Amino acid sequence: MVATWGAILYPVLRFLRPRAATASGALEVVAPFRVKEILQAKNNPFDFGGKPCLVVLTPDGAKRLAAGQAIQADDLRAFNAVCTHVDCTVKYRQENGDIYCACHEGIYDLNGRNVSGPPPRPLEAYVVTLRGEPGQEEIVVSKQSPA
Amino acid sequence: MNTRRRFVGFLEERLGLDVLLGLARNKLVPIHASTPFYYFGGMAIFLFLVQIGTGILLSLYYKPSPDQAFESVQAIVTEVDFGWLIRSAHSWSANLLVGVLFLHLLTTFMMRAYRRPRELTWMTGIVLLGLFLAFGFSGYLLPWNELAFFATRVGTAIVGVVPVVGKQLLLLARSGEDVTGDTLARFYSLHVVVLPMLTFAVLGVHLFLVQKHGMSVPEKIVADARSKGGLRAMPFLPHFLLRDMVGWYLALAILAALAALFPWELGDKADPFKPAPDNIKPEWYFLFMFQALKVLPAHLGPFEGEVVGVLFFGACGLIVLFAPFLDRGKISRAVLASLAAVAVAFFIAMTSWGWFSGAEQTTLRVILGGIQTVVVLPLLIPFTAPGSNGRKLVYAGLTLAIAVLAVATWWETLG
Amino acid sequence: MKRDSRPTAMLLAVILAAAAMSTLGIPALRGELVAVVQEPEAAQAPAADAPAAADASTAPAEPTDAAANASSQTPPAGGPLPDDYSCLTCHKKGGDLWNETTPTVDESHLTNDVHWKKGLRCHDCHGGSETLESFKNHRDDPDFRSLRVRQDSITFCGHCHSNLDYMRKFSPSARTDQETEYWTSGHGQRLKASAAGENAQADAGVATCISCHGGHGILAVKDVNSPVYPTNVAQTCSKCHSDAKLMEGRTYDGRRLGHDQYEQWTKGVHGVAMLSKGDISAPTCNDCHGNHGALPPSVGSVANACGTCHGKVSKLFAETRMKHKFEVAGMPGCAVCHGTHQTFNPGDSMIGMGDGALCAKCHNPANPQLGATLAGADLAKNIHAKLDELKRNIELAGDKVREAERLGMEVRGSRYDLHQAFDALTNARTLIHTFKPGPVDEAVDEGLKVTASVQESAAAALREHTYRRWWLAGSLVPILIVVGLLVATIRRTPLPESRYDPSHH
Repeated sequence: MVATWGAILYPVLRFLRPRAATASGALEVVAPFRVKEILQAKNNPFDFGGKPCLVVLTPDGAKRLAAGQAIQADDLRAFNAVCTHVDCTVKYRQENGDIYCACHEGIYDLNGRNVSGPPPRPLEAYVVTLRGEPGQEEIVVSKQSPA
Repeated sequence: MNTRRRFVGFLEERLGLDVLLGLARNKLVPIHASTPFYYFGGMAIFLFLVQIGTGILLSLYYKPSPDQAFESVQAIVTEVDFGWLIRSAHSWSANLLVGVLFLHLLTTFMMRAYRRPRELTWMTGIVLLGLFLAFGFSGYLLPWNELAFFATRVGTAIVGVVPVVGKQLLLLARSGEDVTGDTLARFYSLHVVVLPMLTFAVLGVHLFLVQKHGMSVPEKIVADARSKGGLRAMPFLPHFLLRDMVGWYLALAILAALAALFPWELGDKADPFKPAPDNIKPEWYFLFMFQALKVLPAHLGPFEGEVVGVLFFGACGLIVLFAPFLDRGKISRAVLASLAAVAVAFFIAMTSWGWFSGAEQTTLRVILGGIQTVVVLPLLIPFTAPGSNGRKLVYAGLTLAIAVLAVATWWETLG
Repeated sequence: MKRDSRPTAMLLAVILAAAAMSTLGIPALRGELVAVVQEPEAAQAPAADAPAAADASTAPAEPTDAAANASSQTPPAGGPLPDDYSCLTCHKKGGDLWNETTPTVDESHLTNDVHWKKGLRCHDCHGGSETLESFKNHRDDPDFRSLRVRQDSITFCGHCHSNLDYMRKFSPSARTDQETEYWTSGHGQRLKASAAGENAQADAGVATCISCHGGHGILAVKDVNSPVYPTNVAQTCSKCHSDAKLMEGRTYDGRRLGHDQYEQWTKGVHGVAMLSKGDISAPTCNDCHGNHGALPPSVGSVANACGTCHGKVSKLFAETRMKHKFEVAGMPGCAVCHGTHQTFNPGDSMIGMGDGALCAKCHNPANPQLGATLAGADLAKNIHAKLDELKRNIELAGDKVREAERLGMEVRGSRYDLHQAFDALTNARTLIHTFKPGPVDEAVDEGLKVTASVQESAAAALREHTYRRWWLAGSLVPILIVVGLLVATIRRTPLPESRYDPSHH
């Protein structure tokens, strides 16, 4: 009898335990780097519900970051990093101030607009919000529009 | 010991538990050929408790919005510890529950337990069955997967066929012209608030009536027993309860086995703008209705086929609900019995047909039909005297069904 | 324009465009007269009129500034015509001085014209007096400029469109090189030759401004109903270039000018992107051939034309020996393998030596072409095998991931990783154009590394799933033990002798 209750209660108690915070996954995700690390981030794009997500800094944001000023959510843009041409993963080229797809040299501007090469459409944009202490903010990317 | 007695005494004084205890102690369960049928009710309550437990757990993580429903269920089965187990248990237990309720209904009907003064017990039982079917229907949509989405679309469309008020009912069920996020919210509220409240109320009445009237015994057995100076009985506590518990544990074992062998799958997220997939199916207990409406011709005489179908099933429901009052004499009894036989055959045939329709899978259909027959036929055993022709017929049927089942399974696994 | 009148206006514009095209289209190119301002006597002597018209345009008045300054005596831009609008006294069907022989203009054509909407009126293009009071007979009016034959339209339109000072008033970035460009185009050169009565290239029937843009009722290029809106360009060109009879005997650089390019383009990847997928950035005729300076790219410059969008591939290709060989042999670069107008979605079957492989055309062991080597054939085979290997592995890994996902296992990480394998495959496909083994192999191996790790993690997820099932199946044992204990207890507990009285209840 005790064994039965144990067998039933153990899974239930484990079920009640909070799940890992970063893994909620499907609708929003916390970038694996902080705002101040964005230019050095190795894992950008990162996994957002199985799709790559790219966060970039606008030119204004880059200036502000260089000057050591506070970065706002508005200085960041997040995109579905899947190229609209043939689905390669795009990357952020800070030195050129653009988003680049190496497969066919497709180029997007920092607002995700396709500006050169074969891509037919802009990148799908996500919403960026920041949270945390100034200077230590985390980047939260979500699919929902900020109502 | 003394402390315990004091504690019991404390509760006793305030709650008057001795009344309940007395009821339980004095409760007797008659022993006769059909006694095993009494376990179905207890098993149903056990499964209902499982549903409440797992349901509450699932609601801790589930989010009823079209954006998040599928994702949250996915998160439950992938991210939450033992979430896969809880969800599988909830889904399987729901199906077992409906299955047990069907058997409970069928055996009660065969024992004619609805006789005076138990008409209301029967009717509350039918209402409970309806409530649990509604549980199943509303719960099916909640994961917001493709199959459920389109099955709900079809299912609610059936409501719309009802003459005069159909359109209004459809709008009420879907909260709009189409199945949307509002429908999901509506079904969620139904599933976790409205239906549970109603069920507790009706179940309370049902159980009170069972307690008040005691266990019903088939007339024939009563008559036989009279000549032998009464019927043997066992006390509910502890004898019947122990046996009941065996049933519960067996149900638990079946649940675990099913969850282990056939983990409940999630499927693909619903996309309202995608065309319906080919194999949309409601839960198996709605399949007979779904299939019958599907194969009905578009027009039956001057009427639309679907309207006739819906009205027909509505009428069937009413007949079942009012069966106690329709059973008024030998002839009506015979009519009811043959109707029930036809209904069971219809259910088996249509479910098997609907389950594997679309694909060329006759053998699978035969297998499913065989399984259902093997489940239903033994219910007849208590009603046939040992050694009688009827009993022989049941055995012959069972043997035949098992043989067909074996051959079909063998054929399927080899072919 | 009011919002609710837009559908009507659109409909009208479509009808007008269609009408304009049907009046201006093919008959015009057959050397007949333009139907817009058709003067009866001109219609009887078409060829003779052409030089005369050219003369007329040599002494143009300066374009008036009236429209640019939004003069007050003209009706408001885009509005309906006032009843007493002077030109219509003669040129409107049923006007006071109209008769059967007067060139007639449709009022709605006028008011929907982009020039009209910008405030230009009849005299801004045609010259002459703008009011009845000052009217002089057109033939005696030195300021009047007629457009008798459609060949005149180059200078007629160029009168304003080549004048930067004038055009700037309407659009600060207006281009004024269309006329210059035109004279360098295939169309322009033939027309010039014809006017000079020169060589075999002479052709008075070529397209001029109005062949593509229409006459009265010209729509802005960005108007979706304009015949030169991206989605309509190909059809506009095809009006002549798909007319086998019209194009008969006309060639450029030895290539036939008229055949089924339009047909081919609509079936090719670019035409499908434009017409079916609505991607108006997809290339249509003018993106490769130019528009006002339309000419087919020469054999050597095909790769550059393609390279305007397909930059990386064309850069890789430019460094290969193959490009050089093609040039020497007079073969048109990219188009050798990918086709010209009907550029199909490329597939992996194109590389290698198998069925449908294009490499086999030259690297044929039995009959090598252009000095193609057998080593090249081997390389093609290897590249094909490499791509196949990666594709197969992606598929396998994908199947495993999907199965694990279907069974409710967490594999989003694997799915994300698998994306990198797709990248590698696409990259390898691009690198084919180096025609070297190294880069392709490198890209493929990169992808294979990813698929291997994805397969491993998906397999781990599947193992975990199996483990769960065993665990659950194992839980049956204690359950059955409890059942056994219960049964034993039941056996041990004797039934008391009690009777049940059904009637009592």
